[in-house]
Amino acid sequence: MTRDTPHESARSHVRGRSEFVDDRPPLRGELLCGLVVSPHARARIVAVDGTGALAIPGVACVLTAADVHHNRWGPIIEDQPLLADGEVHYVGETVAIVAAASRDALVRGVRAVVVEYEALPAILSIDAAVAAASFIGVERTIARGDVEDALARSPRTLQGRLTIDGADHFYLENQAAIAYPCDGPQIEVHSSTQHPTETQHVVAHACGLGARDVVCVARRLGGAFGGKESQASPIAAYAALVTKATGRAARLVLSKDQDMIITGKRNPFQIGWRCGFDDDGMLRVVDAQLHSDGGAYADLSTAIMERALAHCDNAYFVPAMRVRGRVCRTNVHPHTAFRGFGGPKGVAMIESIIEAVADATGRDSLDVRRANCYRPGHDTTHYEQVVENNCLPELFERLEASCEYRARREEIRRANAQRPERARGLSLTAVKFGISFTTRFMNQANALVNVHADGSVQVSTGAVEMGQGVNTRIAALVAEELSIPQESVRVMPTSTEKNANTAPTAASVGTDVNGAAALDAARRIRARMSALAVRLNDLPREQWPSKCAGVGSAPEIEVAAPSADLSYCGIPFAKLAFECIRNRVSICEYGHFRTPGLSFNKLTGRGRAFRYFTQGVACSEVEVDTLTGEVKVRRVDLLMDIGQPINRALDLGQIYGGFVQGMGWVTTEHLVYDSGAKLLSHSPSTYKIPNIQDTPRRFRVDTIDNNGNTANLRGTKATGEPPLLLAISVWTAIRDAVQSVRSLGDGDGASAIVDLPIPATAERVLRALSPDAFWGVEHSGEVPSRHLGKKR
Amino acid sequence: MREAAVIFLNGVRRDVRGGDAMMMLADWLRGEEGLPGTKVVCAEGDCGACTVLRSFRGSGFDAVNACITTVAQMDGSHLVTVEGLERSGELAPAQEAMMKCHASQCGYCTPGFVMALTAMRERHATPSRTTVANYLTGNLCRCTGYEQILDAGCAMVAPKSHSLAERYRDAASVDVCNQVTSQPLSIVAPSIRFHAPTTLRAALALMASEDGCRVLAGGTDLGVPVNKGAAWAQTLLSLHLIPDLDLVEVGRRRVTVGANATLSCVRRACEGAVPEFARFLNLFASPQIKNTATLAGNVANASPIGDTLPFLFVAGGTLHLARRAPEHGRIERRELSIDQAFSGYRRLALQPGELITHVSFDATRKGETLRLFKVSQRKDLDISAVSAAFAITRVGNRSGEYPVIDGARVAYGGIAATPVRLAQVEDALRGELTPAKVASVASLITHAIAPISDLRGSSAYRRIVAANLFRRFADEVMRG
Repeated sequence: MTRDTPHESARSHVRGRSEFVDDRPPLRGELLCGLVVSPHARARIVAVDGTGALAIPGVACVLTAADVHHNRWGPIIEDQPLLADGEVHYVGETVAIVAAASRDALVRGVRAVVVEYEALPAILSIDAAVAAASFIGVERTIARGDVEDALARSPRTLQGRLTIDGADHFYLENQAAIAYPCDGPQIEVHSSTQHPTETQHVVAHACGLGARDVVCVARRLGGAFGGKESQASPIAAYAALVTKATGRAARLVLSKDQDMIITGKRNPFQIGWRCGFDDDGMLRVVDAQLHSDGGAYADLSTAIMERALAHCDNAYFVPAMRVRGRVCRTNVHPHTAFRGFGGPKGVAMIESIIEAVADATGRDSLDVRRANCYRPGHDTTHYEQVVENNCLPELFERLEASCEYRARREEIRRANAQRPERARGLSLTAVKFGISFTTRFMNQANALVNVHADGSVQVSTGAVEMGQGVNTRIAALVAEELSIPQESVRVMPTSTEKNANTAPTAASVGTDVNGAAALDAARRIRARMSALAVRLNDLPREQWPSKCAGVGSAPEIEVAAPSADLSYCGIPFAKLAFECIRNRVSICEYGHFRTPGLSFNKLTGRGRAFRYFTQGVACSEVEVDTLTGEVKVRRVDLLMDIGQPINRALDLGQIYGGFVQGMGWVTTEHLVYDSGAKLLSHSPSTYKIPNIQDTPRRFRVDTIDNNGNTANLRGTKATGEPPLLLAISVWTAIRDAVQSVRSLGDGDGASAIVDLPIPATAERVLRALSPDAFWGVEHSGEVPSRHLGKKR
Repeated sequence: MREAAVIFLNGVRRDVRGGDAMMMLADWLRGEEGLPGTKVVCAEGDCGACTVLRSFRGSGFDAVNACITTVAQMDGSHLVTVEGLERSGELAPAQEAMMKCHASQCGYCTPGFVMALTAMRERHATPSRTTVANYLTGNLCRCTGYEQILDAGCAMVAPKSHSLAERYRDAASVDVCNQVTSQPLSIVAPSIRFHAPTTLRAALALMASEDGCRVLAGGTDLGVPVNKGAAWAQTLLSLHLIPDLDLVEVGRRRVTVGANATLSCVRRACEGAVPEFARFLNLFASPQIKNTATLAGNVANASPIGDTLPFLFVAGGTLHLARRAPEHGRIERRELSIDQAFSGYRRLALQPGELITHVSFDATRKGETLRLFKVSQRKDLDISAVSAAFAITRVGNRSGEYPVIDGARVAYGGIAATPVRLAQVEDALRGELTPAKVASVASLITHAIAPISDLRGSSAYRRIVAANLFRRFADEVMRG
């Protein structure tokens, strides 16, 4: 089944009629909320005085920690106050909420809250945290084999260090929530959240309500990318606290600047690694220590680290491997989920190791990759999960041919020799992304399917629509299961009233698990409807209950046992739905799904962590301006295995979009903080996500036909996160270009490992190209010798 | 005196006065008009989610950012929002194409893209992919990776309905606008006054009488701090109703543009006269900003990284100033070379009450080579780390091997508190341009400047890049 129907909201999107939280018309008496946040990375709160604010006409309330019923939350470890209590631990931490009747009064009110701080020493880097042993959670290790022994026995070894900075989600719709007072103590909160259940719970705890008295609704999100998995909940709680205090509707919508300052980012990582290999570039051992910056509170950082560790192998079989991960507690915003979770960090590490091994052995990096790729006999990961249905060798082989890798490698070599001012680089990397939450209990979903008397169908699941098209796919699945047109199926706004105890829409599994739950419900409805149809089919029309004169007393058809015949016997679906109601046969159903077969043990680092893997490869060609460090992506060829897609057009959208998002992460998206850990790049004028001119000049995406993924519904594969990791090929291609320029020179730098952090900003690229020039300017004020001058 | 700004919003006349008129257009559309299709994301004109279309004084419909312009500044305009595109339930071409090409995912940026594509559609029936991208430079999308949006831009089919200009700029409403814009506008809102006089004399009188009067000529940079919590100046003076300042004159030797001339107008005017500047303006901001922002405004803003300024430094840029003489009340005019225009960081060396009425600069002469460079984190729609302008005249290759430079002008942005001309570099450049000369001049540049480090680049990066841009220019000159 693959129907490329447009996104279910496409028509209302293009008309500007799709409703997002802040588009909801204000209720009478509705209040606007604003936040008073910490200007300090760490400080003691001496006093909070809201009297000045309360004196401003229109200001309705000022709330502080004392007004919160249960002032601790956290998706894994409950360590974060909703409103700072006694101390602040990062710039942007919320200290007080102000609510007012007008925007003007709100702005004045927020300014009028006086908070007295006493600044305290802060930990502002991974290095400082490690030195102070400031950590969150315990160290996790995944290990196979005797690493030290393998290193000692390896013919060659290398070591290196990789710095990966954070990145902002830059969803277009900023964090937003509106809380409405309902009957009695009840509160209904409309939130731009990926995790309505957690938002419901955090709101309930904050307000001292039972979960029964809080409904969280998420109609659609204007992008999320992980940034609204945990961090939407406090925003909703702030609005709800105002509603609880005032009895009025309350709206909290962050500005982009405030959103970027307050909310956490992709975790920065520092990775130190050692590897051993033979003269052909066959990896024997990798040993790595990963440190991530978790920020001030735990949030999801420990789970992110677990995923990073589980992706340090990526597409490659490494006989002996030990990866250890530690989350650092620092005084910056609590970092959080971002498309790929920890995956991109582990993958960037191993891909950069491969590049270094290729440079050291003189082999083409693609040859090193293909030689080390998971393959029959070498198909067990370092956590001892077998890579089933492995398409990687095929993907490598096909893309190498279709992108004309070898010929272009030669052409680029020639071009770079002739025109070193514009150095080109080429790199082909892979992704093997594990699909499932690494925390087992989260791998479940429920769905409510209601068939109505007219034969139209409403489906509700815990999945949140944020652009990825999960609702469109679920509608297609249910329509197919019930043999009705997709237009007959409407997927309803996500609400905890209909679907409780759900997992966040995250980890790429939104469609996998929610679609499966919806199918579970639809299947049972179909069985009952078919059973009735079989019985009806045996009766003359006029004896059908709805045709009988005294309908109430007409003989009723019993369908205790579902029929084996799952057709509707030619009875139109709408008519049959109507007859079901007349015969007191339920055509509403609740479905549940739990991902089978997961056995990963976090403590031992062993077991089946993932239901299956989504795999792909991409070849990127870049051009580096060696005078300025600026990078242009000339061409990208991308090939993925996405199984049997439900809607290929939507999947391609995920691939294009994920790749370009990853490109931003590895190139231009640079978070800059001042010495006091205040974020300086907090809006699009200073934080540069890819623009339409930055897309690859030539961008070809293709998929392979893979019927073999029996692990997931309908043979489909998740596509949400994996394509982002393929953009690592852009970074390795830049690295390749830098290396090719260095190899033209005869300086000492030529043989050293290219030290290129992520993101590879123009300045960092230029630094990698001409470290001498920078050294000269920064240290002695000497004239930098032109780095290419020697050859001219 | 008129007290209400008059606009035609999706064909319907709106008279907006008082505090409403001083709202940002996007906030007014969403909050007061119940039109939430126009989104606000960054509130600084950098993402395009708030894009609406504007037609003013007979121009076609152009994309502008509704988040950083007040309703009052739209006085006399026809505006179309995403809600105004459909006709009897039939989608407009941009809407249809965006839907069919799967160019919309979360939908938040979508209305802005639809509007920007519609603006393109008003001018190009069969755009190339490059044209599509150029029209969409001011719109950010975080979901799609843009491929399917580019597809949509190329897949728009001819509309059955009329163009927006035909549909919304009907004779009656155009008459109203013409009438309205001939009358000065004066809006009084709490703690702010907004004046839009129709003559230069009246404007100068206001500047003479009102202390701290802030001039709006486009005003794309002035709205941003207001959105971020700063207050407007007490008195705002908008020049948009003064027809004398609309001038764009391309002479054989000089190009003169009035204070109202938008950068889009300047770009079009310069295509023949200063092609390098026209090319460079493609990298300046976004279409939305260029359709609103003015060259005079870019100068008046006096930013060290104003992208047009290094060009004006090497192209004999002149500011034409006017003020009301306090002694006799007559208009007093003078000219000020761009070299003398900046007295410090974001400070303009003008006298009290003085207004930039026009900016003029040299047309590129025969035998002159002009090159403009800009280095930024992202190539398009970004603020420069370093920008550079080089203009040279040469007298041929005396020895036959190396070019001989007769006169040189060199200016940089982003390396000091103001844009600067490097006189010692210019002097050093005269004569034969040998590889040794290139090396010594490059070193001179590195030593002559002391830029700051900030989030766009370290001091060392700026010094190295400044020298490297010169190397690039010299290399081009040497290759001919």
